Parts: sequence; structure tokens; C-alpha cells
Amino acid sequence: MNPFQFTRVTTPKAAISAVTKESGTYFLAGGTNLIDLMKREVIVPERLVDINKLPLATIEKTSTGLRIGAMAKNSTVAEHELVKKNFPLLSQALNAGASAQLRNMATVGGNMMQRTRCSYFYDNSMPCNKRSPVQAGPDKGQPNGPNGCGAIGGYNRMHAIFGTSEKCIAVHPSDMCIALVALDATVNVSGPKGDRKIPFADFHRLPGDAPQKDNTLQPGELIMSIDLPMNDFAKNSHYLKVRDRASYAFALVSVGVGVDMKGKTIQNVRLAMGGVAHKPWRLTEAEQFLTGKPATEDNFKQAAMLAMKGAKGYGENDFKLTLAPNSIVEALKIATTTA
Amino acid sequence: MTDKQHPDESADNSGASRRDFLKQSSIMAAFAMTPPAAVTAVEKGLHETIATRFEQMSLRVTINGTAQQLNIEPRVTLLDLLREQLNLTGTKKGCDHGQCGACTVHVDGTRVNACLTLAMTTEGCKVTTIEGLADGDRLHPMQEAFIKHDGFQCGYCTPGQIMSAVACIREGHADNPDEIREYMSGNICRCGAYSNIVDAIMDVKQGGQKV
Amino acid sequence: MTKDTKNPPIDRVDGRMKVTGGAKYFAEFTMPSMTYCVIVSSDIAKGSIASIDTKKAENAPGVVGVFTHQNMPAIPGWDAPAQGNGNGPPPGPPSGGEKYRILHTKEILFDGQPIAMVVADTFERATYAASLVKATYTKQTARTDLTKHLADGVTPKGERAADYVRGTADGYKTAPVTLEANYTIPIEVHNPMEMHGILAHWEGDDKLMIYAKTQGVKATQRAMAQAFKINPDNIRVHTEFMGGGFGMALRTWPQETAVVAISRKIGRPVKLVMTRSQMFTLVGHRPRTVQTINMGADTNGKLVGIAHAATGETASYEDFTEGTVNMTKFMYDCPNVSTRYKIVPLDRGVPIWMRGPGEATGAFALESAMDEMAHKLNLDPIEFRLRNYTETDPEHNRPYSDKNLKEAYQRGADAIGWNKRSNQPSSNRDGEWLIGYGMSSGTFNASRGQATARAILNADGSLTVQCGVTDIGPGSGTAMAMIAHNVLGVPVDKIKVEYGDTSLPNAPMQGGSTITSTVGSAVYDVCTTVKNTLADMATKSGSPLANSKANDLTLADGMLYLEADRSKKVAVADLMRSNNLPAIDKTQQSKGGSEGEKYSMYSFSVHFVQVRVHPVTGVVRVSKAVSVADSGRIVSPNTAASQMIGGVAGGIGMALTEEAVIDHRFGRYINNNLADYHVATSADVPHTETIVIDKPDPYINPMGAKGMGEIALIGFAAAVSNAVFNATGQRIRDLPITPDKVMQKLV
Repeated sequence: MNPFQFTRVTTPKAAISAVTKESGTYFLAGGTNLIDLMKREVIVPERLVDINKLPLATIEKTSTGLRIGAMAKNSTVAEHELVKKNFPLLSQALNAGASAQLRNMATVGGNMMQRTRCSYFYDNSMPCNKRSPVQAGPDKGQPNGPNGCGAIGGYNRMHAIFGTSEKCIAVHPSDMCIALVALDATVNVSGPKGDRKIPFADFHRLPGDAPQKDNTLQPGELIMSIDLPMNDFAKNSHYLKVRDRASYAFALVSVGVGVDMKGKTIQNVRLAMGGVAHKPWRLTEAEQFLTGKPATEDNFKQAAMLAMKGAKGYGENDFKLTLAPNSIVEALKIATTTA
Repeated sequence: MTDKQHPDESADNSGASRRDFLKQSSIMAAFAMTPPAAVTAVEKGLHETIATRFEQMSLRVTINGTAQQLNIEPRVTLLDLLREQLNLTGTKKGCDHGQCGACTVHVDGTRVNACLTLAMTTEGCKVTTIEGLADGDRLHPMQEAFIKHDGFQCGYCTPGQIMSAVACIREGHADNPDEIREYMSGNICRCGAYSNIVDAIMDVKQGGQKV
Repeated sequence: MTKDTKNPPIDRVDGRMKVTGGAKYFAEFTMPSMTYCVIVSSDIAKGSIASIDTKKAENAPGVVGVFTHQNMPAIPGWDAPAQGNGNGPPPGPPSGGEKYRILHTKEILFDGQPIAMVVADTFERATYAASLVKATYTKQTARTDLTKHLADGVTPKGERAADYVRGTADGYKTAPVTLEANYTIPIEVHNPMEMHGILAHWEGDDKLMIYAKTQGVKATQRAMAQAFKINPDNIRVHTEFMGGGFGMALRTWPQETAVVAISRKIGRPVKLVMTRSQMFTLVGHRPRTVQTINMGADTNGKLVGIAHAATGETASYEDFTEGTVNMTKFMYDCPNVSTRYKIVPLDRGVPIWMRGPGEATGAFALESAMDEMAHKLNLDPIEFRLRNYTETDPEHNRPYSDKNLKEAYQRGADAIGWNKRSNQPSSNRDGEWLIGYGMSSGTFNASRGQATARAILNADGSLTVQCGVTDIGPGSGTAMAMIAHNVLGVPVDKIKVEYGDTSLPNAPMQGGSTITSTVGSAVYDVCTTVKNTLADMATKSGSPLANSKANDLTLADGMLYLEADRSKKVAVADLMRSNNLPAIDKTQQSKGGSEGEKYSMYSFSVHFVQVRVHPVTGVVRVSKAVSVADSGRIVSPNTAASQMIGGVAGGIGMALTEEAVIDHRFGRYINNNLADYHVATSADVPHTETIVIDKPDPYINPMGAKGMGEIALIGFAAAVSNAVFNATGQRIRDLPITPDKVMQKLV
């Protein structure tokens, strides 16, 4: 690792000020992704601001639902009684990710900020537009190795089938975020220009021409908390994760489902997928199709077909064009029969 | 510690930490704000010891019950601090990237990967390593169970497995073999002793001993 | 105790050290003014270094030296001309001459090849300085894809790799039922949990201390003596604990020698711990191998012919060979058998034997084909194997020293519940999950080499047993203690076993499942000599057991008894005191005789699995596993069982998850880490039942013990693949069997 300055802060204000003051400054939370990337010289910060002592780890009931502090550990959230009772999808998704140790370290905010696991991003000698943007500069990132996209025409078994661009076909690796986007979460951020709220679906972005940008945060902004609105999906939720080994692996495809059933009819449904796009992929059209319909395999299949509109394989990942709809149907079946 | 940086900052005063040091070393002022300052120092022909001092910061942490007052570079991980500076080599380096669990230790009672933990972030924390698990010569029940069930071969992942296994029970995730398998999956054993490790954990859990 | 008696399970002798963190592995020793070495690896797989800038690294804080091909210190033994070849000999790689020389020229022969080694006073500083070394390259197209270059396969030199024919090479063609199938295995990487490296310290001009990660301390000593032209006695190599090897430390790797040279140059101890990514490129791998099996059988289920062809990868700079097609030559009674083995030189780091080396690769093909043929014949796969069972080795036309495979089939079948298996695939369901059962067999050569052991029996009844063998994890030390206990009756807790250091008597490398047989026999023999010394003293005239014959005496609990009349006895301590002996200290060399020429000696295994396959997502889970070992008398039941469950975990990885992937456009690995290269986790491995036949081999050695390490893995992947077929009716012939392959077959 390169030498860097290390500063510890105890208030969000100080954190934002510290990270705004000098470029090349990064917040350090759980460190499970940042330290890894620093060891590989993919990220070479000049300065780290340790935000682990910020008082942002509380999980509390609000008038509209639940507020989860950005510094709450993944394991704490997954085990929290209110989360398990009201938002089991979030708990399941969190527990499907990483390992018990990493979940003890990783924070909610950090989980949202984690970078792709694309092999080309991780290897400085390989072409990558995310790591080494074409037009580098302030706010656009610094060049680090060759640009281009190694995954297009390369080994792209883990890569995206939705929302790709010619610049990047990487996927967002989080499980937690799949649940959060399905559950209509809102992200509360604070920055040099004040506080604002970002709908979770708008927090992460598609690669477009600027794959170096994973999200819509502005420079200096700090994630403060997540708000989850109350819902009626608790009884019929399921997080299905298909992966290459039984545990401790990233998703080939994952599906988060929450359903509000009345008898055998779907009153309301939330669907999102992981392992398929540069951002947590919400299946709005499939949701609309299913709303008000009976929970039958045939309807699930039609919904899955709608969800797959616009999907595109890149060779090694063509199997996802089948695995994804299969997994949607499977997750819906499980979610609607666990009532 | 006056000649070391201290990282704690008061709000809105993020430059203060280095003042104590800079006051003493006006020669550093010329490039004090250049982040990889030590390199610059050397390139400018400054003496190595100055560079070293500049890179180090103070850390107070309790390890296996002993309060430690250390001066370390901020880039030192907890794992390398334990192994290379404190001679606590029971904690193992298996991948250095949070992908194997060999470095599992307890920080304030929870299991974490020491390889992805910057030592500086353990300021004021209590760290327990495999060396701190036994009560003197009396082995911890989990250590006994690993011997009894032969829960290892080469032994390299073993300290991490044991620290993880103790936490697995304390967390309440050791109610049945399948749950243990899932919650122990962050500890890779290439010799493949998993079947025996699960038996060892079940044995301790069912034995009801305090872990 | 004799070999006719089963051994009780005992705890691993080094268990306490391993559970307390007290066991010290090579990187955990420390020395005054020790330095840290970090390797800078090549970014390209083929070409040459156009420029290399080390200035920033040299100027970085704490840096002691930056070594490249421009300033690498000489390795005298490599620079000396040998056999008329001016390029100098390599440090004795096991399979032929090495042309690759570390940091010697600007040529790049494989991805990850070291281009610089950076030494600094701390690990952090060395790592950072290494990142400051910048190279530019002249690239050439790298040939890394075995599949594309199969036509370039050559038959390696040497009798063992030659084409083999028994009967007619293509005799299978005449059979009424035939099959042809291609099987591929990917590159697999050993990935022991401990990373490789070395700690070297020159204690004097020609005196060297090394803490190594090696499967043979004596071999490392020899390699370094040759490289640095010093007396081996002046080199001490220590590897008491080693964090797994699986074959990757069966040779001294060039970077080890380089560290020793650098240590000499800078006059300080140097420690190298490689990165996990470098574990993929610099310490070998199981080679990608493509195999074709042609098989013919008659309608009664009798094999007519088998032709087995295998092509594996090697490096451009060194031949690597393994016994991929061996098993096919002798496993079944079949009149027409032919095998062909080829290697293709590629721009890749050289492979090295990985657990169950070529045999595991070959067994996947052969045992899958046996299952495919059984299906064609509508025979139970066990029944098909029984119809082609052989009690004599058809390759060498001689009897097996011992073979209990029929019993192994039966006991394994009973344990897994084979009777629940339908011969009709895809006919067993549990909800959405398809259930399948599969089995396969494995075998590996059993042998006894040469080793020397020392035994010191003290007057207080305690015993020290020494041998310079490395215990990489299987429990060799525990087996040595058990054998010594059996001969001398000393309680196990009074036996101290010392190993893993060149100051101890000579032993071979730990590899090829030979250590219990070889070192165990040496321990047996030297302990027998100690016992005979005691018996001689006890039966001298005037001694308590005078006039008794030595053979009639038994040792137990510190007493020497007349077996026929246990009231006649003498305490060992008294005997030694009366002979003025503080200790009986014996060292003895030991080796086998001609038994290996009269008999074919093999260990055998049978693996059974139950799998659950989820057709919609393609997920496969091994839900039950039973492994049966026919490997002679089991010396240490606990550690033997651990090797077997380890073989199951390794076999599940081989079958379902492990694959090192190369992007051939760059010739580089793209999953060279433990997150993307999937070693089986705890959640992938079910409770595993192990069964040992535990009958002594009458000929191999005094204990009747054969090897376990290899057979625990060999064949397992085929059992899983066969079970997946039984569950789904779909055959997947290229490993690993990942969800995408399964799901696509079932859509």
C-alpha cells in the first residue's frame, strides 16, 4: 500500500469537511472493499478519513418505517429484530453476502459504495474504463492502467446483461442493495451543500460514457442513513442467490422478491435482480404485470419474459439470459408459497 | 507521543493532527501537505529517520488483555501488526484480501478479518487472538474439541477456524450442522477438515460449556 | 503389537501446537535486521522487457535493494557449465532441464514471471516500493490455450510416458457396444492456505540457515548446496510446520534460490512471502488436460477394449509429465488396452503435481467412461466393475500384493444407501430437486523408499524418534509415534517425535503417499533394533530373563515381559541402569527389498456420493459422501480419516467449483484470488463418512501400511459427475460442473 495520511473524525461535519478539502481523500468505513482495492493499487488514496467513530449506527423506528444508520454493520442489520420481522428480505439478502466476518466489518453505507468485482477492474494491467477513465481529470478520476473494456470480448461470465454500454459491462456486486431497491428505500446524504434524499433506485447509475462513476453522490457527500417505508411484504419475501459455490461467492444471478398476497392474488409486489447490471436492477414492468393477478407459474413466466426485455448477452454470460428468468420464476414461487 | 501524529481530530479542524509534529520539524513544512511525504522526503535527500517518524502515528489498543501503546504507519493492517511487530504469529495470513478467514480475530468481541482491518481503526478496542483464547495452560473448550475431533491437518487455517467457531456459537449460529456450515463458510480449509470442524463445534455447543 | 492388530485412534501429536497458535510456520521466525522481499511480476505472458525503471523504488523509504535481470547476484551453481551446456544447470527440477532462469534475461516466458525483487526493512515498505517499479514490454502473442494447440502435442521422453498397447490398440472397435467421449479438466491451483516463500540467512560466508515451505527439507538443502556450491552440511533447512502443500512444494522454486542469493548479496536475512495471486503463477498448478476414451464391451458387460488418450499442458521451458493414463493400464480386466500421453508446450508457468497428480485427472475420464458404458449396457455401475474385476495386474502380469476392492464396493454401497439408486436416470425427486447417486474408484501406486530414523530410549522410559521428513499436514508425526509405540510399548504421551529439519536423519520428500510406508518402516526398524538391544541385555546370562529368546519377549508400559509367562519380567529402566546406559541411541537406514518386483502394489479407494440437483438454476449440492479406502493397515485412524474427508472436500472442489481461468488474449489469469477461484467452503461439504478396510498388506512393509493421501482424491470427481448424470440424465464431461452448464443442459 502507498503511504497515506490518516485522520479520524467524530462528527459528520468534520468528515465532510475533511474529504472536501483535498482531492484524493476517501472515507474509510468497514474497509472490506477499500483496503482490498488499495492493496491491489486499484485505488491509491492520498488521504483516508476514518469515519468508524461517527454516531451513525443506530437502527430506529420512524413514523413511516425504519431508519438504518449508514455505519450500522451488515451483521447488526441482518440480525436486528425489527429488520427480521418487518423486512426479512433485507435480512436474507445481507446474510447471503460475503462471510460472517466481513458482515461484522462492512457497513450499510460501505456496502452501497462497494466497487464491481470485475476481474479487469481489479488488474491494473488489463484494460478498464472504470478504473482508468478515458477522460481523466478532476471529478472524472485518475488514469490507472490501460483503458478500454477487457470484459467485452473477454471473460464475461459474471457480467451484465442489462443496461450495459460500449464502455463497461460490469455488475454491481451487492446483495443488500437488491433488497433495498426492491423495498423502495431512500438514501439520506449530507454534503458540503447540505442534506438531500436520493431514492435508492436513483443512487446507483448505469455505466454510459462514465463507468468510473458508480453512483450519483456529489463530491464530499456522506451517506447518513437509509429510510425504509413500511410495507406488507414481510410474510412473502425471498432472496434467491445462484452462485458457483454454496456460500461466500458473488451472485451469478440473484432475485429479491416481496409480495403482498390476498388469498392467491398478488396485491402488490416488488422484484429486483442482482448480478445482471451495473446497478441493482428493479423489475418494474414485471411488477406491474403481476399486480392484481393470481400467483400462478404461468403468470410468473410471463412476468419473467417482460423482465428480460432488452437483455443482451456477451458470450460467456449468455447463460444468464436463461438463468435470470428461471430465477425470477423460482423466487416468485418460493415467496408466494411461504405465506 | 508528542513527536507522533495523533489522528483524532476535533470537528472542522482536520489539519490539526500534524501540528505537533510540524512545529518540531520546520524542515518538513515545505512539503508537509504532499501526501506521500516520506517518499518526497527521501527524494529531497532527507534523512530516513525523519521520513520514518513522519509516517508513524500513535495507537492505543488492548491485545489479549495487554494495553499496548504503539507507533505505526497508518497503512499497517492489524494482521501485519500482530505478525510482524508483536510476534503474535498465531493469526495467519492466507490471502491478505478477506477471502479465506485465516486471519480471523475478535475485535471488541466480534470476529473480523484482520487483513482488511487497518490497525489504526482499532484505537481503543480490545483485540483477542488465538494466543489469548486459552486460560493459561487450560485450553479453551473449542481448542480441546478441535484436537478431539481432529479438526485440522496442516493447522494453518486452524487459529482462524477456532476464533470463528467461538464467535459462531456466541452469535447463536451453531444450532445445527447446516447452520454451522453456512456461518463457518468464511474460513477456508484447503486440507478439507470441514466435516470434523462441524463435529467439533457441535460438540462444544451441545456440551454447553461457556465459550 | 503386530500388523495383525488394528491401531486405536490417537490425538494428533502436534494438535496442541496447532490449536494454540504455537506452531511456527516458515514466515513466523524472525531474525535481527531481517528484511522483506516482494516480487514484482510481469504483466505480460510472452515477450521481453523493453525498459525497467527502478529508481523510484530504490529511493523509497527503507529500501535495501531492488534486483532485476540487470543486477541480480550470481548463483554460482547455475552459472557453471554442465554437460557441455554453457547455459548452466538448473537446481535439479524433477522432470528435466530448466531453461528459465529467474531475473537472468529480459525475456518473458510466462505471465507473472518475476521481473524484479524488492527488499526493504518492513513488509509495508517493500510492498509499496515494489509498486514503484515500472516496466515497459515488447509483447509477443502468447500461446496459452491448450485447446487451440492440441495438434502441437508431443510424446515426452522416457519409458513411463511412452505409448502403451496390450492386445490390439483399437480392439474396442470390434465390440458390439462402444462409446467415445472427451473429458476435460481445467487448470487447478493447489492453493494451500499458507502462501509460499522462504526466510534465508547467511550465518557465515558458507553457512546458511533457511526456514522454508518445502515438502522435503533435505531436497531443499541439496538444491541450495548445488546452487551455491557449498557443502550441504553447512546448510540447515527447517520446516517443522507447513501450511499445506498438495504438491506445490515438491521442488525448490527459482524465487527461493533468488532470495538466498539476495540475502548473501545484502548481508542480511531476507524473508519472502508471496501474494495469493503469485500462488497461481509461480508455484505450479494442475495442468489443463483434454482426454478421449474409446471403450468397447460385449453385451454381457465384459470389456473388450479401452483406448485412452490424454494431452496436458506444460511450459515452453520445461517438460512436465504425470501419470494421467496409468490407471487405465491395470485397473480392469480387459484384453485390448492402449494409452497415449502427450504434452503441449505453452507460454505458461510450469505445472507441478497436484494431489493425486495425473491419476486424478485420468480417473475422472476412465471412471466417467465406465459409468457411461454401464448405462449403455443397462448395468449397475458396481456390477459392471465387478464383471471386469481382476485379481492380477494385467499390465505387469503379476499378482497384486493385496487388493480388497470388492469388499470396498460393498461397504461403500451399504453406507450410502446404493439400493435407493435407480439405474434409470432422472427418476428420483424431492420436490423440485433431482436426486442422484454416483460412485467411482481410484488407485495409486504404493511403494516403500529409503529413509533413516533415529530412536533414543531414555532410562526414564521416554522415547525420542527423529527423522528429517516434513509433515505437511497428513499426520506423519502421529503415525511415527504410533509405530514406535507399537514396537517399544512406550506410551504415546512419552514419545517425542522430531521432524522437519535437516539436522535429523535422511528422509525423502513428502509426496506420492509414501511417507508412512517409507519413514514408518525406518521408525519400525530402528525401534526394533532398540528392542533387540534391550532383549540382548535382558537375556544375557545373569539377567532376569536369561535363557529366554529375544523373539519371545514383549515390551509394554516400560517393562520387558516373557510373552508366554508375564510374571517373568524386567523394568526397562532397571535393565539400562544395570548396564550403565543413560539411553539407548540407535540410528538406522531402512529400505524395502525385491517385493516391489514380485507384486504390484497399489492402494485403492471407492467413492460414493448422493447429489441434489436443482434443474431450474443448475445448482448441484453433494448431500452425502462416503469414501472407502483399501490402503493396508491403518496406522493412525484419526489422521487417516482426516485425509479421507480432505479428499472429499478437494474432490467436491475439483468436481463442482475449481477452475483457474485465463484470458488468452492477454495470457493472464483473471481469477487469481480466493474469491474468484472457488475452493470448496464448509457449506459445500456434507458430513462425510469414511470407511477403512484396514487389512495389512502382507508384503509392502513391516506395518502392512500403504498410502492414503492420493487415493482420497483420485476418482472422487467422477463419482460426482456420475451422480449428476444419475440425477438428471445429462452428462457433463468438462469440469467443473457449474450451475450454468447444468442448467443449460436441462432447459
